[in-house]
Amino acid sequence: MATLDELMRLPAAMAAFEFRGSGELLDQRIAYPERINETTLDLLAHMCAANMSIATMQARGWEKVTAMKGFYPIQEFTLVGFDWSVVVSGFRREQIKSEGKTSLPPLMGVVLGNEKADYEAAFAVLEGQEPIP
Amino acid sequence: MSIVTDLLAKPGVIAAGEYAYRGDRFSYRGALTEEHARMASIMCRATTMGVNMEGKMLEVFQPRSGLQPPRGWMVHGADYTVCVMANVFCMLDNARASINDIVGFMRQTMANAPSDLI
Repeated sequence: MATLDELMRLPAAMAAFEFRGSGELLDQRIAYPERINETTLDLLAHMCAANMSIATMQARGWEKVTAMKGFYPIQEFTLVGFDWSVVVSGFRREQIKSEGKTSLPPLMGVVLGNEKADYEAAFAVLEGQEPIP
Repeated sequence: MSIVTDLLAKPGVIAAGEYAYRGDRFSYRGALTEEHARMASIMCRATTMGVNMEGKMLEVFQPRSGLQPPRGWMVHGADYTVCVMANVFCMLDNARASINDIVGFMRQTMANAPSDLI
C-alpha cells in the first residue's frame, strides 16, 4: 500500500492525504501550504468520499442495467480542477474486502498540478502496482 | 470535426457524447444504445453539477485554492474509465486507451468552455 510520502514523490504532487470512508481527514502531507492547506484537504476528503460513494452506486446500477462489466467497483475517482486535480482510490480497501476482512485501511488521495499530472502513474501508485518514479 | 468525432478516433474510446447542462438534450456516438447513452449523459450531468456545487463551497472556505471552476472528473474501474470535461463525456477501454492523452486532449480542447453551466 502506498504511503503519503511515496505519493508526494509523484510528478507535480502538491499534497497527499488519508481519510475515512465517511470523509474525515486522518493524515496529510502538504508541499504548498499557501495553495492547499488542512482546511482545503478536509473539505476535499469529504467531497471525494461522497463522490466515490455516488460513483460506486452509479457503476453498480449501470452494470445491472447494461450488462457491461468492468466499471464496478470504482477504483479511483478524480476531480480535475482549474489548476490542480485530486485523485482518490479505494482500490486497496476493495482488495481487502474481497479477502473477507472487515478491518479496512483508510482511503488515500493525492493532489497533482494539472500541467504535469500523470494520472496513470497516480492510479498505479495508489493501487500499489508500481514503484514510485 | 467535433470533439466527439475526434475522441472516437482515439485508441480505446468506445463511446463519446455531449449533454446540455439544462438536461433537455444529449448526443453521442459509439458502442452504446440510445437508452444507455441517455442514462450515461444523465449520470455525467448530475455528477458535473455536483462537483461544481462542491467547488463553489470549497471556494467559500478557501478562496483561490485552484480548484474553482472544476474542469471535469473521471471514474476509473477495472476495465473502463468514464472521463468528463465540461459537457463532453467519453468512455474508455483501459487496456487500449491512454487516460493521460485523453484528459490532456479534452482539457486543451475544452479550455475555453464557459464555466457557468448554461
